[in-house]
Amino acid sequence: MPKIEVSRRNFFKLSRMKDPGDDKLANLLTLVKGEIDYSLDNELKIELNDTNRPDLWCVEGVARALRCSKNGPENHLSSMSEDHLSIMVDPGIQVIRPYIAGFRATGWKLDQEGLDSLLAVQEKLSESYGKKRSRTAIGFHRAKEIAFPVCYVSAETGELMQPLGYEEKMSLSHILTDTEKGREYAHLLADFTQYPVLTDTNGIIFSFPPILNSNTTGKVCQGDDDLFCDVTGTDWETVQLTATMLACNLEDHGAIITPVDVVYSYDVPSPDREVVTPVLFADCMSVTKDEIKKVLGIDISLETVREVLQRMDYASVEIEGDTLKGTLPPYRRDGIHAVDMIEDIAISLGLESFEPLLPERFTIGHSAPVEELVDAVRTVLIGAGCEEILRPALTSWRKIREITRSPIPPVMIANPMTEEYGAVRNTLLPGLLNVESTSAHASYPHRMFESGEVLISGDDGVCRTEIFLAGLVCGNKADFGDVHSILGSICYSRDLDLSLRSVEDERFISGRCATVIINGKASGVIGEFHPAVLTEWGIARPTSGFEINIDSLKE
Amino acid sequence: MTEERDLHPLEKKLLTYLEKNGKSSDVDIIRESDLPDEGSFRRAAQWLLSRKLIIEESREEEVFVELGPLGKQNLEVGSSPELAMLCAIKSGSNSLQEIQQDTSFDRGHWGSAFGALIKSGLLKKAGDDILFDGKPEGTVFQEVWNQVYIPLSDGTEIRFADLPENVAEVVESRSPRRGKSRAEFVLNEIVTSILGITEEGREALKKAMETVTIGVMTPEILAEGSWKDARFRRYQVDIPPSRIHTGRLHPYRQFLDTVRKRFIGLGFSEMRGSLAENEFWNNDALFMPQFHPARDIHDVYYLEDGSSVPPPSDELEKRVAAVHENGGGTGSRGWGYKFSRKQSLQAILRSQGTSLSARTLGSNPDIPGKYFAIARCFRYDQVDATHLPDFFQVEGIVLGEQINLRYLLGLLKLFAEEIAGASDYKFLPAYFPFTEPSVEMHVKHPRLGWIEVGGAGLFRPEVCLPLGIDVPVIAWGLGLDRMAMLALGLNDIRDLVTPDLTRLRNMKVQPDRLLTGRDRATNAKN
Repeated sequence: MPKIEVSRRNFFKLSRMKDPGDDKLANLLTLVKGEIDYSLDNELKIELNDTNRPDLWCVEGVARALRCSKNGPENHLSSMSEDHLSIMVDPGIQVIRPYIAGFRATGWKLDQEGLDSLLAVQEKLSESYGKKRSRTAIGFHRAKEIAFPVCYVSAETGELMQPLGYEEKMSLSHILTDTEKGREYAHLLADFTQYPVLTDTNGIIFSFPPILNSNTTGKVCQGDDDLFCDVTGTDWETVQLTATMLACNLEDHGAIITPVDVVYSYDVPSPDREVVTPVLFADCMSVTKDEIKKVLGIDISLETVREVLQRMDYASVEIEGDTLKGTLPPYRRDGIHAVDMIEDIAISLGLESFEPLLPERFTIGHSAPVEELVDAVRTVLIGAGCEEILRPALTSWRKIREITRSPIPPVMIANPMTEEYGAVRNTLLPGLLNVESTSAHASYPHRMFESGEVLISGDDGVCRTEIFLAGLVCGNKADFGDVHSILGSICYSRDLDLSLRSVEDERFISGRCATVIINGKASGVIGEFHPAVLTEWGIARPTSGFEINIDSLKE
Repeated sequence: MTEERDLHPLEKKLLTYLEKNGKSSDVDIIRESDLPDEGSFRRAAQWLLSRKLIIEESREEEVFVELGPLGKQNLEVGSSPELAMLCAIKSGSNSLQEIQQDTSFDRGHWGSAFGALIKSGLLKKAGDDILFDGKPEGTVFQEVWNQVYIPLSDGTEIRFADLPENVAEVVESRSPRRGKSRAEFVLNEIVTSILGITEEGREALKKAMETVTIGVMTPEILAEGSWKDARFRRYQVDIPPSRIHTGRLHPYRQFLDTVRKRFIGLGFSEMRGSLAENEFWNNDALFMPQFHPARDIHDVYYLEDGSSVPPPSDELEKRVAAVHENGGGTGSRGWGYKFSRKQSLQAILRSQGTSLSARTLGSNPDIPGKYFAIARCFRYDQVDATHLPDFFQVEGIVLGEQINLRYLLGLLKLFAEEIAGASDYKFLPAYFPFTEPSVEMHVKHPRLGWIEVGGAGLFRPEVCLPLGIDVPVIAWGLGLDRMAMLALGLNDIRDLVTPDLTRLRNMKVQPDRLLTGRDRATNAKN
């Protein structure tokens, strides 16, 4: 879940409210599905649970939600400058990083907090929403240093730019190898022989997305009040929404937004090759009173619904007869179905205003049949003096194959976090031996069992989950007879015929190992563990064990 | 006091001995009485002393001399280095260097013997020469040999107090309290206690002798009827029991069993499914877009190539693909991307029990219906005190015509009270990719304050409609591991699956007291 750190002073200034204290703030944050992660004097860390609302991953977004819930909706990006800037997009860029959006923001004078929040949102959106700059990256520039119109073009790797924070001009390929950001993001351009750049009207490179800005335009600092923002990327939707969200943020601070006409030389996911950014999204959803009632269980007038949606900053809410049509503000694209708007109604009303009801219709509860069988067998085993064990289902190839010498290879994980948990168990015996090997200090004898899920792979690779039952007895005098008796009492209790047929199995001592046959069907294995296996596990006393498929006890 | 309990057979033996022999030392009693061993004597004596049936007449502390490691070496050589040095000088050697040629003792011991002899005044130095005018036989070192070494060599006990003053002085100076590994002698302090029988003791013994007392019941006593003329020795019933290790259900399994029983009691039916799933059931059917961050390779365990899980029917897959791409006629816009069948069939370890709910919805569930599953789930986490490689979740669905947000809140309230045993709870808006609206529930724990225990939401139409369900469905889930840790008093989640039998045996289990440590009955009264 995204977390943001904000300055408390800045946050409440933007929210246009006094600090209500953490308890009340926690209540207010339910509006944005947010929780206070920690709270110090002027520091506040907020966790935001809605991964579909990147507009909230910054101080401006959360403050806006609080502001609107009190003061009603704001008209975002409705008074942009009439003049448009333009970006010409070169065909060569299409295969590298095809999309760009941008805008100019004038009249908000950056102070330290403003600068901090600008960098914070840039970082958060590029890293999370932009998937570590692969989908989008953001650049802020001092607009006055840029001679428009701007071109978004592909450039030879040897072209020069003075990267932000460096004294001299460097070639683009050197920027990738010799700067910190270059090394961090070079992999994004690894497949290309030309790199994306922004050039000004004189053809001078002033930005190298998604890596670095130039030192001339990119050195944004306190006191600046005229910014140019570029958003580049590989995913149309992400690029456009990012630019729109940022424009709304800067407008909230008092900046006037000048849009940019982006002129593509190739088709893009838009009706026209000329796109005005920031795009004014206006997703709308319609519901009827009945549909609201069906989901929320309350009778509510559409007029009230309009009011509560306005407090959620909806751009417009219109009522036509039985139907209400709500339009999301431009920075939100998470409304893809009417239920999304219905949830906004519920959140705006507050969940505490809903009276909980209990289902009135009668249903019969029952346990899964196999669980009842397992429970019956567990009871018999407890009576036989066995202690029940519970082990993780993930284990290692080494424990199953090399140490225990189990004959069948387990299903392996393709992307294990560690080898220790790289295999899904297909037998419970290594788990029990593992317990034995770490319990030499516990008073003997040890009688234990586990019933649990294992993953079995068929010859065709199709995996199925089975429930196995395994038992183990260890002690100075423990032998084959002990586990045989335990198995015998299980079968006796379920009126099943148990017989054993001698078999060779590497895990067990030759001549002291058998296939378990229950009602004539091979169902598992029983034996006295081979000294070599015990030595590998570091077990110093004689040990015997059995393992069967619980299904064999069904008849 | 004495009437409270009959004499134990051991007590009887000790009293009998003292009655017969009068005041006796513990050493003698242990050696001569019928008591089986020293431990039995000590126990019997302690019991009798506490009941004043015997008294300790006096205590004697005696110090015995024993040979230390160095002394034992000397005994083997047959002489102490001091004595050997005097003999050597007597027979002509006149420098330390010359004497040190003899390897009976190492150089260090020769050196310290020389030092000791100079200090005692027996030897004098004149330049490099050593002078000794006396006989070794007359020196204190000879006396030490005769009076300590020789008697000890044949097992005679030597009391320190019996030694002549000059010998005692040497012995004491060579019996360090520390560094006994290099000592010549060791002084052993032994406390001898003299015990005597009291009047009460005599009476108690007399009484005990007059009646036949039965200790352990035997079949013979029953068969012969000898109990009729006897009395049973009274047991001291309030001694702590010895601990036995019984067969026992696993503490965490007991917790899970309790949760299971409660859900069945609430009218839920149990679902079961496979540890391995394909992405279709784990994610796609739940309308989680294939680019969703939670589906990343760093969040889900993929099974190695060649492993698979049976695919869904073509028809179902088409419907789900359409929903992802364009909403598939569900009233949704969809996610607007090209659905990948290949990714859909990737075999993974299930990351959420919700996959079981999706499968249930897709296979003609009862309407109205309530389902649950306690499912082992897998998440891509480093194993530590708060993360296990696999963990249990209880998840499920409630479906029916009348279902809406208020019933969802009612259900969560029910879980707070019946499953988590909490009376204070609150609901917060939440986000789950497959439900809208979504709610999470926090309950108040008496010690920890508000903690999140689970969540619920109404499945999106994009989930239900392709699976053929046209009534509202509540999807809900509760985390169990944290609740179990609280119930079992554990701080490290790994203890839930510990391989350590001792740790397991020491876990206290009260499966009837879940999250808040209160049982259901008390909770109901509140």
